Amino acid sequence: MATMENFKCMLCGYEYQELVEEGEDKERSCPKCRSNSIRHLKARPSQDKTNGKGKKAKQ
Amino acid sequence: MDPEACTACAECAKVCPVVKPDEYQMGLSSRKAIYIPYPQAVPCSYILNMEDCLGTNPIACGKCTEVCEPDCINYDDHDRIVTRDVGAVIVAIGADVYDPTEMDEYGYTRFDNVITSMEFERLICAGGPTLGHFVRPGDQERPKRIGFIQCVGSRNPAIGRPYCSNICCMNTIKDTLLLADHYPDVECTVFYQDIRAVGKSFEDMFQRSKEAGTRYIRGLPGDIEENPENGNLTLIAENTTSGQIERHEFDMVILSVGVGPPKDLAKVSSLLTLSKTSDGFFMESHPKLKPVDAPTRGVFFAGFCESPKDIKDSVCQAGAAASRAVALLNAGEVHIEAITSVIDADACKKCGVCASVCPYSAITWKKGEVAVVIDAACAGCGNCGAACKFDAITMRHFTDAQYTAQIRAILAEDPQDKVFVFACNWCSYSGADMAGISRMHYPVSNRVVRTMCSARVSEEMVLEAFRCGAPIVLVSGCHYADCHYISANRQTVQRVQRLWNKLEKAGVRPQRLQLEWISAAEGAKFAKVMAQMEELRKTVTMEEIEQAKAALKPKPKKPKKEKEPAAVAG
Amino acid sequence: MDSDPKGDELRVGVFICDCGLNIAGTVDTQAVTDYAATLPDVVCAIRNRYTCADPGQNEIKKAIAAHRLNRVVVASCTPLQHEPTFRTCVAEAGLNRYLMEMANLREQCSWVHPGDLEGATRKAKDLVAGAVARARQLHPHDELTVPVTKRALVIGGGIAGMETAIQLGDAGHQVVLVEKEASIGGIMAQLDKTYPTMDCSI
Repeated sequence: MATMENFKCMLCGYEYQELVEEGEDKERSCPKCRSNSIRHLKARPSQDKTNGKGKKAKQ
Repeated sequence: MDPEACTACAECAKVCPVVKPDEYQMGLSSRKAIYIPYPQAVPCSYILNMEDCLGTNPIACGKCTEVCEPDCINYDDHDRIVTRDVGAVIVAIGADVYDPTEMDEYGYTRFDNVITSMEFERLICAGGPTLGHFVRPGDQERPKRIGFIQCVGSRNPAIGRPYCSNICCMNTIKDTLLLADHYPDVECTVFYQDIRAVGKSFEDMFQRSKEAGTRYIRGLPGDIEENPENGNLTLIAENTTSGQIERHEFDMVILSVGVGPPKDLAKVSSLLTLSKTSDGFFMESHPKLKPVDAPTRGVFFAGFCESPKDIKDSVCQAGAAASRAVALLNAGEVHIEAITSVIDADACKKCGVCASVCPYSAITWKKGEVAVVIDAACAGCGNCGAACKFDAITMRHFTDAQYTAQIRAILAEDPQDKVFVFACNWCSYSGADMAGISRMHYPVSNRVVRTMCSARVSEEMVLEAFRCGAPIVLVSGCHYADCHYISANRQTVQRVQRLWNKLEKAGVRPQRLQLEWISAAEGAKFAKVMAQMEELRKTVTMEEIEQAKAALKPKPKKPKKEKEPAAVAG
Repeated sequence: MDSDPKGDELRVGVFICDCGLNIAGTVDTQAVTDYAATLPDVVCAIRNRYTCADPGQNEIKKAIAAHRLNRVVVASCTPLQHEPTFRTCVAEAGLNRYLMEMANLREQCSWVHPGDLEGATRKAKDLVAGAVARARQLHPHDELTVPVTKRALVIGGGIAGMETAIQLGDAGHQVVLVEKEASIGGIMAQLDKTYPTMDCSI
């Protein structure tokens, strides 16, 4: 199932939303400045302990 | 079809009721559903195209089986997967000829008597649909005035094909000589940007073409008009030598089409972890010194898929590729770099994270057991070493201790002036080298450290750079499609995401950690990113640097004793 | 092996390459050499005109013997070009191949910072300091050897693929040729005459 998720470019600061398919494997770049420093902003409180499992909320 | 049994008697094709355009003849004639691609085909056997065939199950037609004497037609035959072990792979997947449909200004789809140079080949060939009698498609009349347009699908950045296709100038020169030989009354005119006739005896052919009466006009036509009465065509072009707009009428116009990377390139590329250059052809190990070696060991390139080249150059490169492969096969063995992962059984907490992140399944682990590395399968990316939370994994020749020492030494003096860069061996480090080879200039502030894969960069390595006072840390690696360790760089993304969270929690501006994918061909991108990093560095204050140093201090824990297992006999 | 590192005694030799003017034209290589000599455990720092040439390599071999070096740092061009060269060089002098480290002063320094003698020299010093620090942590290793299957795969049966397959066969190797179309020949088989000989393509 696809969900709308929030991203932020860590170079230029541009924030945007994008539809994310479950289990997708996609290289991201900023729609404005092309930087690859794209931070996935999560609705859930941040979890430090996730370790390669639980694909959904990740890139 | 059983190619061994088929005698190519052609009886099957005679009775086949299906008629399809013949691909070999560029659609200028037809074939049956059962056919031989061309008389000289190897293997010399008829083939049955099941997409075209009427009779599968239940058999609706079956005419061909009735007449096939050797009984070599099998409707139930299907594709099979064949497995073979090999020690060397030569990639010679060729090219795709440009389809000029999108370039409407030359009227290829609108006017019958506008054809491509590939269609010309079939029309002039004795084995072609007209048996070599050169006629124009519109009315089957023999054309006398023929215009050639060069660079259709070449040297045209507007359609994403900025490169020279190499072969089209000489191919057109050859065509004009063929026409002059077959039909002395034919008048050829060639519209060109530059004539590139740089091979052995090529200039001589060019001169002969001019002596045979071919007119060469410098300037590509901007427009084409058809006379609907007789199908003749008028080309309107600026003759850039005289500066005049000229109109020339022709009976036929031939588009000298370029050649591009084949559409299967991406598939082969990801299968063998190869890269491509900005023009879409395969990237070699070194443009001058290793022109047929792929960056992936044991893989070599031959022919057009590496770059546009003619038959002679393809044959030369094929010989070079064969010679490189023979050197490998004759050696009989290869040395694997001693960069594999080693697990300290005492320190291993049996969590299995290493096994779960290994792109090669080179680590075996069962619940409650110590993980074990299969040496021959390990490619040395270092992803497991970066993922292990218990310092139980050592990457040979790329140990944590080595990186820590290197980071500290580089940032020992005036760290506030430096952008600290981790670059993966295959792409970003090579991209940095490419910037150097291309003499691109960028700010002097960066300090690059090489890792085999960006996934080798552990959280600790990044934090250590910040602790040493680095204002900016950049992690760089291969683009998703280019990762030389299958998909290890996806772990890089996850690690950087976690680091951004961690930095933010610690009150450190997360923007000070950056991530970029830079391929081996992207020297320009490397230079651009270095300039961006320098701009970003200027925004980082001494207070921020000091705050980060304090906030990111490691939690006190037992000092780790890292022993890099040395495997030397003598 | 005599020259393997013994105990804690580290003896690092640093070799700074001018590469003609490729590096020395932008980086003050003498200043880098003098600086290298002050780094921990560095027992000799030598500047060469061309370290990869025979005289340069001989200098490394001589120094390994004379100074009983057990770590070598070559500060020259990219390791992607000359790491194998210098690994072999130190191995010929009896040192393990993995005890050699490089600093990239050409592709990633002098060639990209022309006209900035001060900045490029400072960067070069940092890169050498990093390489020496790493070298001090290096360990000797033996390489794993794996057999090569004596069979080649050629993907594509056009002129390049066919020619490669023939030559590999002539050299006595088994070849598997894969072609997606029903016949080999590729684009060339569709051509009538080919230049420069004006003969048939098939």
